[in-house]
Amino acid sequence: MLYEPVDKKLCAIEPVYEGIPPGSLRRMGKAIRMGVGAALPLIKNAASLNGIIIGTANGGMEDCIKFLNQIVQYEEDMLAPGSFVQSTSNVIAAQLGLMTANKGYNITHAHLGLSFENAAIDAAMQLKEHPGHSFLLGGVDEISSFNYNIENLAGSYKDSDISNKQLYEKESPGSIAGEGAAMFLVSNNKGSAIAKVTAISTIHSKDLAAVRQQLKFFLEKNTTGDEPIDLLLTGENGDSRTLPYYAKSEELVGDSPSIARFKHMTGEYPTVSAMALWLACQVLQTQQVPQHMIKRASQTKYKNILIYNNYKGLQHSFILVTAPI
Amino acid sequence: MGVISAIGNSVAQNRMSLTEGTCGINNQFDLFPTKYSGVLPFGQVKLSTDSLRGKFKIAEAGVTRTAMLALHAFNEVVEDGGLSLSDLSAADTALIGASTVGGMCLTDELYADANKQTNGSEYTSSYDCASINMYLQQRYKMNGIINTINTACSSSANAIMYGAMLIKNGLAKRAIVGGVDSLAKFTINGFNALHILSPEKCTPFDEHRKGLNLGEGAAFLLLEKEEDIAGKKVYAELSGYCNSNDAYHPSSLSEQGDGPFLSMQGALASAKLSADQVDFINAHGTGTENNDEVESKAMIRLFKKPPAFASSKANIGHTLGAAGAVEAVYSILSLVNQEVYTNLNFKDPIIATGLVPVQAYQKVSLKNVMSNSFGFGGNCSSLIFSKA
Amino acid sequence: METAELKLQLKKQIVEFLNLMSVKPEDIKDDEPLFGEGLGLDSIDSIELIVLLGREYGINIQDPKEGRKVLVDINTMVAYIEKHRTK
Repeated sequence: MLYEPVDKKLCAIEPVYEGIPPGSLRRMGKAIRMGVGAALPLIKNAASLNGIIIGTANGGMEDCIKFLNQIVQYEEDMLAPGSFVQSTSNVIAAQLGLMTANKGYNITHAHLGLSFENAAIDAAMQLKEHPGHSFLLGGVDEISSFNYNIENLAGSYKDSDISNKQLYEKESPGSIAGEGAAMFLVSNNKGSAIAKVTAISTIHSKDLAAVRQQLKFFLEKNTTGDEPIDLLLTGENGDSRTLPYYAKSEELVGDSPSIARFKHMTGEYPTVSAMALWLACQVLQTQQVPQHMIKRASQTKYKNILIYNNYKGLQHSFILVTAPI
Repeated sequence: MGVISAIGNSVAQNRMSLTEGTCGINNQFDLFPTKYSGVLPFGQVKLSTDSLRGKFKIAEAGVTRTAMLALHAFNEVVEDGGLSLSDLSAADTALIGASTVGGMCLTDELYADANKQTNGSEYTSSYDCASINMYLQQRYKMNGIINTINTACSSSANAIMYGAMLIKNGLAKRAIVGGVDSLAKFTINGFNALHILSPEKCTPFDEHRKGLNLGEGAAFLLLEKEEDIAGKKVYAELSGYCNSNDAYHPSSLSEQGDGPFLSMQGALASAKLSADQVDFINAHGTGTENNDEVESKAMIRLFKKPPAFASSKANIGHTLGAAGAVEAVYSILSLVNQEVYTNLNFKDPIIATGLVPVQAYQKVSLKNVMSNSFGFGGNCSSLIFSKA
Repeated sequence: METAELKLQLKKQIVEFLNLMSVKPEDIKDDEPLFGEGLGLDSIDSIELIVLLGREYGINIQDPKEGRKVLVDINTMVAYIEKHRTK
């Protein structure tokens, strides 16, 4: 069931969180609740965990602004520190380490639209250095009412409400705001793996030719005639300014793969590529792509999925996800 | 290397100040209106935001003080490393930076923009901590891996680690790594609300210490693979590193200091060194009751008899996101010049540990120097630099 | 204000200020320890409670250590408020 955006926002629906003690939950802003809530069940079932690697562009943004408002309201006098402590980017990874008593590698990547990709590259490097290890890898960001204002002023969103069914049809600048958390347990162990992240590449550029060249090189390096792309999952988001990049990616993969989109479900936010990876894993497991995601149906068997996403047409990433056999 | 801090605007100036025991912390804060100006001591960089803007001829909108401090140190490392513009824009040149404040140094503008009080200031895209590295990427048209790390006070130590790993894994040939933070009303009030700011100049490792002083600064280092350094000026080798978590409390370290202990121990293992091969520790030493005692206990636990150690935070304050990188530069200066610098303002050792930091500038024989950075969220990182 | 009334008001303020979502003010016992056992608050809460005392009752406790002598349970807090409040 697809939920419609309200006031240009697709807000995450939060479950009743199990495993978060009330004493901790009371302090947590939405980003932390989502991140911790998505990760805890994974960590609980993990045989062992050697570290926590999180990508988040804004961390506890709502708490950041809460503290900021206190500074102004109380004129820098007698401030309650709780929201300051919860506002830093590393609070999600820190909270997870704290709640699971995990003293291993703990890091937060905060590079805006490539926060999750850098976290994933970090996980890959950690696994190469420590082959038997396993890590929690994830991406999370929230729509804080205040950060939304800043993004809106910067022109990131449509100038009026839009149905997600029309998101890709209306040719105009801007998209809709989103938020969410996606978490993964990663290791070098093929055993019970759902998917394999085979390759990741990133580039900062607004130049269409440069982005095209990067993708072309990525495809040449990582795919063959025997192992073509079955599905191109793009971060097309209804923003006319970034459409040319997605069009170019569709052109490069040719007629063979299916093409699907996801931001009508998730909205746009810096670490949405984590959600894209989660969706790719779902496709590999179920061998199905939900109808509303499909832009072009060409394939019915999915083994090699290419995720292409960009944030504001400047930060681009290509992730190749393959079935683990 | 490149560095800017309260005690100098270049590597050479910083070294001179360290050897002379100069303190860059004072009560003459004047970056923006705050209740704490003239009340609390700060380690302010002695260049105004306007002069920074003029120096780099920055005409475009939206460039914050944080970005300009980063630019200053970045320029120095590029020149020192002999990097050309095409080196910078090569696909195998990585930039890994760190910042905890980002553009939030403009606390008042952020407030106005966040609460819809303006039509959008020039800074709407500049507030997040990645904005500094995005600015450097754009300015120098960098095409390699760009990343921003925020793990509070250990951020730039982790940036150095990440850059090293990229090179090790063949994902970069060279990495410019470091961090920056500028003084911000947001962080001043945050730390003050936690009651960890000292009303006086900080006294790291002293029994009567009252807290930390906030500072600002930036530092970058150029990392390259051993095979690629022939004919180049080499300062030191990054021989070991480790990141671990204390997993105890959001803003303080556990009594037994597992996080600091594990990160130091892990760095030794990574460098394949035994504890007695570390000649000097550039300590985190913020001057807070919690950090200095826990760090001391962790040093004793690991080293039994810790080597000489000192904190430079009494010279420049706690530069948060820049601290790991600035102190890496200072550790390397120690190695290159075979000297250690005074831990200022120290009088009485912490009764529980009895440790005494370096009390006077002196020339010593150094092969391996460890640099520690411990942050909020239990994020602990240790780096080991060895004589080239 | 009567002591009993002040105790209930304080309990409500604590629950709201510290966002103790699963706690009903009337369920907090007057002699239940605030820290460690009992309500299980931590060091950040102790600072926040000092801020609460300042904002609601005009009481200015500078040293958090001093504050912890006051912040033992509802009884000690209310006794201190009654003695020192300026609002």
